[in-house]
Amino acid sequence: MTTAVQPARRVLPASAIAGTAVAAGALGIGLYTAGMNREFPLFWAFGLAFGFILQRSRFCFASAFRDLFLFGSSRTLKAILAGMAVASAGFTLLQSKMVTMPGLGMLPPEAHVFPLGLHLVVGGVAFGVGMALAGGCVSGTLYRMGEGYAGSYAAFAGILAGLGLAAHTWNFWWDRSISSGPAVWLPDRLGYAGALAVTLLGLALVWLVVEALEARSGFAALAFPNVPPAATASPALQGGWDAVRGRTAELGRRIFRDGWPVLVGGLLLGVLNVYLYVAHMPWGVTGELSRWAIKLYTLAGWAPGPLAGADQLPGCTLTVGGSRLISHSLMLDAGMIAGSLIAALWAGEFHWRVPPHRRRWLQSAGGGVLMGYGAAIAGGCTIGALFSAIPSLGLNGWIFGLALLVGAGAGTRLVRRLA
Amino acid sequence: MLLDVRGEICPYPMLKAVEALPRLKPGEDLEVLTDHAPALQTIPAYTGRLGYQTRIEPVGPGVWKVIVFKGAQAS
Repeated sequence: MTTAVQPARRVLPASAIAGTAVAAGALGIGLYTAGMNREFPLFWAFGLAFGFILQRSRFCFASAFRDLFLFGSSRTLKAILAGMAVASAGFTLLQSKMVTMPGLGMLPPEAHVFPLGLHLVVGGVAFGVGMALAGGCVSGTLYRMGEGYAGSYAAFAGILAGLGLAAHTWNFWWDRSISSGPAVWLPDRLGYAGALAVTLLGLALVWLVVEALEARSGFAALAFPNVPPAATASPALQGGWDAVRGRTAELGRRIFRDGWPVLVGGLLLGVLNVYLYVAHMPWGVTGELSRWAIKLYTLAGWAPGPLAGADQLPGCTLTVGGSRLISHSLMLDAGMIAGSLIAALWAGEFHWRVPPHRRRWLQSAGGGVLMGYGAAIAGGCTIGALFSAIPSLGLNGWIFGLALLVGAGAGTRLVRRLA
Repeated sequence: MLLDVRGEICPYPMLKAVEALPRLKPGEDLEVLTDHAPALQTIPAYTGRLGYQTRIEPVGPGVWKVIVFKGAQAS
């Protein structure tokens, strides 16, 4: 069965002009911040690229887990697996340059290898429930803010609130679980080749399992377009410039107006994550948000006390910022919102969307609180603790992923009831 | 029948579309008005499994109409 599609209307020029104006503004911000710190424009560019790819491929970690339960669809989950496979190979090469002799207990700098323990399970389950409730994870919330989803702003506020709550209870988790948990980095035990082989095999195994699930649900037999493809009015190829122009226009339409297959998004995000690790560190989102959450709680007169051990942990742990406002991570997170806004405007998809029921606002905010809390004690969100953790060759990414699955299953049941 | 689910995000556009199908009169189409791009995948996928066909029409910036119908032709 295929879906017939009507020829799409032309993108409103006003939207295209606005997108170009925002893109020019983004360029200006990049140039302006270059004067403050050489690294700011680089992280800004990474953020813009991540946001652009997320928006164009409608990448959604929440749907990846939820749709398994809802209708056995594994398209997005497979795209995540593919992205992590690409990143795993790149991360392994990088780490082998940083720590030439694994097995001596040295961890590569910036790798998202987090202590194992109950905090990881509780954090993952809470995050899984939260992303199902809010209808998007933290990265999803950021890029939907750029697309004009009002509910995502409520989710964002919830995430900050949850991160601050977790800061207040951080020492409880640190004392009882995080400080005593072993940080297992696979190359320590298996060497680089062994660790990469086990990681890729693990990803392949999950791929096969969800593929089987999909086949059993009858979902795989359905062919449907990712999004409405462009009007297939391919210009008559008259050779010469006309052909080039026609094909370029076609390519432009496919990149800037039509949605991309989610698998393309996953692979690109995986490649970009390797580049970012080359530049500085693996991709993460919540560490910077926690800095702002703690700032806001402090301003409101409810400052969390000192966070035991948080500064010795890698990845996206709670960060207490100094007085500085701008950081490279802020450029990355803000860039994701701006990149998505540019992509949405160019595609003619930017549109202010307001949830139709009051219940949805609460759902988004409540889901956000659960995500913020879970990300804080698990060392990151679906990006930092999963998409960057499994390629970092840590065992924590796998445990967080399983916990996410459990949480998303429970969250999906809850979401059905709230229809 | 027109079903306006603008402002709703996943999974609600799909859940509400599926829920509306039994309320259709024989031969009637279901027109789902949505501003959530992922619904352009989930609605065709899920209703397809129930034996329906779909057609997508852009309505405006970030707004689409997903027409769910049975049989060879939609009216």
